[in-house]
Amino acid sequence: MKIQLQLYSILREALPSESKGRAVLKLEEGATLADVLKQLGIKRRVVISVNSVLERDHSRQLRDGDEVKIFSSVSGG
Amino acid sequence: MANGYNGKILHVNLSEGKFRVEKPDETFYRKYMGGSALAMYYLLNELGPGIDSLSPDNVLVLALSVLTGTPISGQSRITAAAKSPLTGAVGDSQGGGFFPAELKFSGYDAVVIKGKSKKPVYLWIKDGEYELRDASHLWGKITGEAEAIIKAELEDNKIEVLQVGPAGENGVRFAGIFSMSNRANGRTGMGAVMGSKNLKAVAVRGRKRPAAANKVALNELAKWGAANLEDSDIAGLAKYGTAETTGSNQTSGTLPTYNYNSGVFEQWEAIDGTTMYDTVLRGAPEGNQDRMGRDTCYACTVRCKRVVELTEGPYIVDPHYGGPEYETTSTFGNYCAIDDLPAICKANEICNMYGMDSISCGATIAWAYEAFNEGKLTLEDTDGLDLSWGNADSMVKLTEKIAQRDGFGDILAEGSERAAKKIGRGTEAYLITCKGQEAPAHMPRVKRSLSVIYATNPFGADHQSHEHDPAVEDDLEFYKERLAVLGFSEMQEPRSLGDEKIRFAAVSQRMYSAMDSLNLCQFVFGPAWQLYGPEDMVALVRVVTGWNDVTFDELQKVGERRLNMMRAFNAREGFDRKDDKLPNKVFQPLIGGVSDGWKLDRAEVETAVEKYFEICGWDVSTGIPTRAKLEELDLDWVADQIDL
Repeated sequence: MKIQLQLYSILREALPSESKGRAVLKLEEGATLADVLKQLGIKRRVVISVNSVLERDHSRQLRDGDEVKIFSSVSGG
Repeated sequence: MANGYNGKILHVNLSEGKFRVEKPDETFYRKYMGGSALAMYYLLNELGPGIDSLSPDNVLVLALSVLTGTPISGQSRITAAAKSPLTGAVGDSQGGGFFPAELKFSGYDAVVIKGKSKKPVYLWIKDGEYELRDASHLWGKITGEAEAIIKAELEDNKIEVLQVGPAGENGVRFAGIFSMSNRANGRTGMGAVMGSKNLKAVAVRGRKRPAAANKVALNELAKWGAANLEDSDIAGLAKYGTAETTGSNQTSGTLPTYNYNSGVFEQWEAIDGTTMYDTVLRGAPEGNQDRMGRDTCYACTVRCKRVVELTEGPYIVDPHYGGPEYETTSTFGNYCAIDDLPAICKANEICNMYGMDSISCGATIAWAYEAFNEGKLTLEDTDGLDLSWGNADSMVKLTEKIAQRDGFGDILAEGSERAAKKIGRGTEAYLITCKGQEAPAHMPRVKRSLSVIYATNPFGADHQSHEHDPAVEDDLEFYKERLAVLGFSEMQEPRSLGDEKIRFAAVSQRMYSAMDSLNLCQFVFGPAWQLYGPEDMVALVRVVTGWNDVTFDELQKVGERRLNMMRAFNAREGFDRKDDKLPNKVFQPLIGGVSDGWKLDRAEVETAVEKYFEICGWDVSTGIPTRAKLEELDLDWVADQIDL
């Protein structure tokens, strides 16, 4: 399956710079958000939305066509 | 210099043109450490209750800590404190840059300013020497111009200047005090106090670097921070600025939009930190923004400050005035449903040129936008400005009118609470103020510990007075060791306001209060995601001061001391529990997105505030510190002041 991926801020550096954090990611059926983070090498604490809805559970299985956005997680002002 | 501090406080009486140098002993520095706690000591002792905050009777304290000026990230910050013309309560504001370190190098740990000069002056301090100089030719100048003139006439381009802009001169109640023309002691109207004293600026230069008790250990701590920055949770904030948090706040439903009526902004991506990095930072068109579009404070390797340059289009922006923080992109952006990033950068530039707090300024404008959109204000009221949601041009024009107290801007220059009172017509319903200060861009309906802190904070709604809920609502594994130092190990339910969450608010508030007394940056030091944790903070105090028996508990006591002195100050001014309240708006449901329908419950917040008072050791019925608590903190003299 394929998902639409968008990374923001420093997380963009997990992808080639010309991609500006955007990618279509090919995943095995049943892959989870944790698998995505592992594949990208992201070890930081993050905030994730799937199809524009906040998802705290990283064991969530993804579906073909899902749109995943990943942000770093700080509460700065 | 004895281990981090000069041991000298400069007292200035502007009415008499007289100076006094006080030399407190080591016990004084160990008890108050500096910054905000030290400032409170002088406010309580030298400022009588009930005075007019814009009269010569007010006292303005500019204070550094025992750590300021040492070569490590996150230490070059300064407290400005006085009675606030915005709230009538204690005023307190923190700012960074190079001025704080340079003031330390000039020979003083704090400056206590009384009275009012007959004509505009500026204070010049160099290598321990001081004088008041005529500032008549600087009055009315914007920050960048005044700074350049001072440096030219003193013939030294390395002078650092802390000043008020025209907004402070004009008594805008949320005017700030600025250095480098882009670093703000923004909140609570300290610039209006300084302007009311006819004090245009403080210029400093010095060669006296503070000596650390253990220079080798200090260098090791500094090197550790530099080496670990890239892998830390603030790496993104460093490179993309504080506005990198816009997207995560949107996703969590805590991005205040339509003047706090919604927690989501559909066009958030147009104004977030990543877009800023790609489009408006100086050097972005050539891909040189990391080198040209970021700035820093003295000795700080984080480099989180933004430098925006726009040379074409409807809004030209001079990089001298820096770039917007998350708070600024929010108040001028999502608060007003404005997605025009260049316009937001322009409003930020105007705030820095004229010297205004961009939180209160943008939020006051957002209040006017809601009143206009609800038909309570008309074009006749607004000098013909169309304040329809999303109108960027009117927002920019209104920002300048406020600074100049021109027409409708003169009403808004009083802050939203006074403006609502003057206008009436039910516009009080649109306020988002606590104790008269406009709320920053973090929402208590989502991050519920903010409800207790916004309501009770002595200087009004503030987002940098405790650690926000996400630190204990998500996977604690990341910050397990740091949170354990504060005594927390249990994950909390999102949007909960139970006992443990309230305890977390109170305990982390003490740590933030200690950091404001040590003048440490809250992105660099803190209890969770910051570069350095609580044990590093203890280590830093030890290696700089040589107080090798200092513990985290002792620093927490300093933080608690500051908070208790602030509550006592407010008690002298007649504030009590009745003033510890939230705006009505937060008890109404949010509209749209992930946080649709979320609201606070009055009874739950009331109970939480009571529990918070209990944890603090304050009288639950009044919210005023008890004599027992003040004596425990070695503040008997404060208990005597408020007749306990």
